[in-house]
Amino acid sequence: MELLTLSEATNWMVDNGISLQMLEILIMIPVIATLVSITRYLIGFKTFGIYPTIILGISYSFTGLRYGLAITMIVIFASLLTHKVLSKIRMHYITRIAVNYCLLVIFLSGALLLINKFGLGLENIENINPLAVVSIAALSDFFIKIYVKKSFKNTFRSLLETILIATIGWLIITRDVISEFLLNNIWLILLLIAINLSLGQFKGLRFIDNFRFKSVIKKKDDKPGQE
Amino acid sequence: MTNQDKSKKQDEILGLNRRNQEYVRPYNPPSAKSLADDKIRTKKVLTKNGINTPEVYKIIRSKQQLNHLDWDSLPKSFVIKPNKGTGGNGILVFYGKRKGLYEWIRPNGKYMNQKDILLHLENILEGRYSMGDRKDVAIIEERIQNDPLLKKYSYKGVPDIRIIVFNRVPVMAMLRLPTKRSDGKANLHAGAICTGIDVGTGITTYSMMGNYKSPLSDTYDLIDTTLDLKENLPLSGVQIPNWDDILEIAVKCQESSRLGYVGVDIALDAEKGPMVFELNARPGLGIQVANQAGLRWRLERVRGLKVKSLKHGIRLAKELFGGEVEESIEAISGRQVVSIVEKIKVYHKDWSPEKEKRKKDKLYEIQNAFMDTGFKTSRIDKGLLNRIGYDKSNTFFDNKDVPSSFETFSDAQTYIDENEKEFTEDENILRLAKIFEDGKIRVRPVFDVNIKISKEIKNIEMLASTRKEMTYPIVIGRKDSKGYLIDTTKTF
Repeated sequence: MELLTLSEATNWMVDNGISLQMLEILIMIPVIATLVSITRYLIGFKTFGIYPTIILGISYSFTGLRYGLAITMIVIFASLLTHKVLSKIRMHYITRIAVNYCLLVIFLSGALLLINKFGLGLENIENINPLAVVSIAALSDFFIKIYVKKSFKNTFRSLLETILIATIGWLIITRDVISEFLLNNIWLILLLIAINLSLGQFKGLRFIDNFRFKSVIKKKDDKPGQE
Repeated sequence: MTNQDKSKKQDEILGLNRRNQEYVRPYNPPSAKSLADDKIRTKKVLTKNGINTPEVYKIIRSKQQLNHLDWDSLPKSFVIKPNKGTGGNGILVFYGKRKGLYEWIRPNGKYMNQKDILLHLENILEGRYSMGDRKDVAIIEERIQNDPLLKKYSYKGVPDIRIIVFNRVPVMAMLRLPTKRSDGKANLHAGAICTGIDVGTGITTYSMMGNYKSPLSDTYDLIDTTLDLKENLPLSGVQIPNWDDILEIAVKCQESSRLGYVGVDIALDAEKGPMVFELNARPGLGIQVANQAGLRWRLERVRGLKVKSLKHGIRLAKELFGGEVEESIEAISGRQVVSIVEKIKVYHKDWSPEKEKRKKDKLYEIQNAFMDTGFKTSRIDKGLLNRIGYDKSNTFFDNKDVPSSFETFSDAQTYIDENEKEFTEDENILRLAKIFEDGKIRVRPVFDVNIKISKEIKNIEMLASTRKEMTYPIVIGRKDSKGYLIDTTKTF
C-alpha cells in the first residue's frame, strides 16, 4: 500500500491524521450500505440489515474469507443449537441472550482447539484478529432475533444474502485495484448518496416480484375453477 | 404471450416498492398506523363505531399479572395473541380443554399444559413476536365459532376474509383458509390457503398457497381444491355468505381507522356474524396471486374518485372490479319466486313452439330441478339428456377418448383449448366445460336445452353430468338463476 500514488485530496487527509487503513475502512461503510440498499430495492434481498452486513464485510477483510466463513458457520450452528436448548426453559430475555453468548464462546473455543489439532484446512487460525472474531460472533444476535419471528428458510435466506454482500465487501477491500481506485476517488461517496437518493424514489417491481407474481403476469384469460 | 402483453401485465401489479411509496406512506398517517398495529386500541375504536370484534377475556400486561392469572375463569376454547404481533406470529388457538386438568388442545391435536402456555405468554410479554423488540401485551380472546359453510373448507382454526379498501372502495378480497400446516392460523406465511373473491358477487375464484419447497420464500402454487380435509372440495365458486354486509363493514373500518389504504381481516361467526379481527396498515401483496389480478391498476382507477358514501363505494367496487356483475342485485322487485326444488319442463331436442301448438306428440318431460348457485353453469343428468334426443351426441363424446380426469383445472382448460374444435363438429355440442365431479376434475360437453321454468320458456346451456349421487336430474346454476328469487321455505 505504501507504494500507492494518491490523489491530492486523499494525500491531504493522510497528511492530516487519517491513516490510510482507517480511510479504506471508512469508505467501505457507505459502499456496503449502498450494496444493501441496491440489492433490497432492485432485487428484493432481505439481509439482516445494514449494520451486520458492514461489520461482517469488514471482519472478513481482517480474517480472510476462508476463516471468516468458517467462523460464521460455527457461530450460526452454535446459535441454532443453544436456541433450541434454551427455548425449553423459562427465563428472562436478556439472560437468555447472555447464556447464548456463553455457550457460543465455549463452542468457538472448542472449534479453535479442534482446528489447532486437526488443521481442517484452517491452519494458523490463532493468528487472526480477535476483534474480528468477536464481530462475527455478534451475528448470532441478529440471526436469532429473525429466526424467532420468521421461518428457518426465511432466516437462512437472509443470512446467505448478508454473507453474499459481506463477501463482495471483502472482495472490494482486498483487491488492491478496487480499493486503490476508491481511495483515489473519494468523491464517489457523493455518487453513492445520489444513487441512494434516486433509489429512495424507485417504485418499480423488484426483480424477485417477477417470480412472486409469475402466475399473474403469465395468466391466460381462462375462467377459474369449475363451471 | 408477446413481450408487450407481458410488460402490460407487469404494469398492473403492485410491488412492495410502490405499495410503500404511493399508498402506505401518503395515505396512512403515523397515528393511524400505530392504531392498526395495536389490536387492543383497534378493538376500542371499532367497537365505538358499531363494528363487532372478538370478545376479550383477559389482557395481560406484566409478569405479575401473569402470576395472578385465574386459570379457572378461562373458557374451553380461546385464542392467545400478542397485541402488536405481525404475520400470525405468536398466535395460539385452543379449541378444547382436558377435563379436570389445566391442559388445552390445539388444532394439531396436541395438548398444551399450563406451564407451556405460561412460557408462551411470557415470550409475548418480552416482545418476541412483536414488531421491533419492544415489550408487548398478551391478549386472551374469544375463539370464533366458525360459520358452517366456511368450516367445511378449513382445517380447524378460523378462516377469515381479507379485504383491501382504498378511498372507501373495497378494491380486492380473498378468503384465507387454515390448513394442517398453518396450525389453525389463516396467514399466508403460516401456510394457509388463499382464495380470491370476486368483489362484485362474493364468489371465490382462484386459489393458491405458499410453495414451501421453493428456495425463494415468496412464491406460490395455484391449487384447485382443499388439500388436507377428509373430503376435499373445489375452492372456486363458493358464495361467501352476507357478502354485502362484509363489504360494508370493511369500508366502515377504513373510515373509522383513518387509514387511507388498509387490509381488513373479517371472520364469520356462526352466531354473531361478521367480526373484525384486525386492521393492517401494510397489507401483503399475495392477494394479487389469489385473484390472478393486479392491484396497481385497481388502486389507480379508484385514486382521486369522489366517493360520496359507503354504499357508493361498494357500488363502484362492484361495477369496476366485479367479474360478472349480476344485475339481479339492483332490482329485487319484479323477480319471479322459485322454490329451491322447482318442477320444470324439459323439452325434447326436436321440440319447437309450433309443434307444441299442434299438440301432436308430447315432446317434453316434467322434472325436478335443484337451484344451486354454487355452480355457474346448469347441469343435466346424462340419462335424461339421452331421452330428450341428445343420445347420438353423448355417444359421439364418449367415443372421443377424453381423459377420465385431470390433475388441475388448468390442465383441463389446456385440454379444452386444444381439442374443443373436434367436439363442436357434433351439431349439438356447443363447447366443453371443466367440472369437479365425484372428487375428480373432469371435462364434459355442453348443450343448448329448452326448459320452461316459472311459466317462462328459456334456452339455456347445460352440461352433461354423470355424477353418481345426483339427487335431481337437473341443477340450475347461478348463470340461469339470475333474476329469480329462490325461496328456501317453499318446496312445490
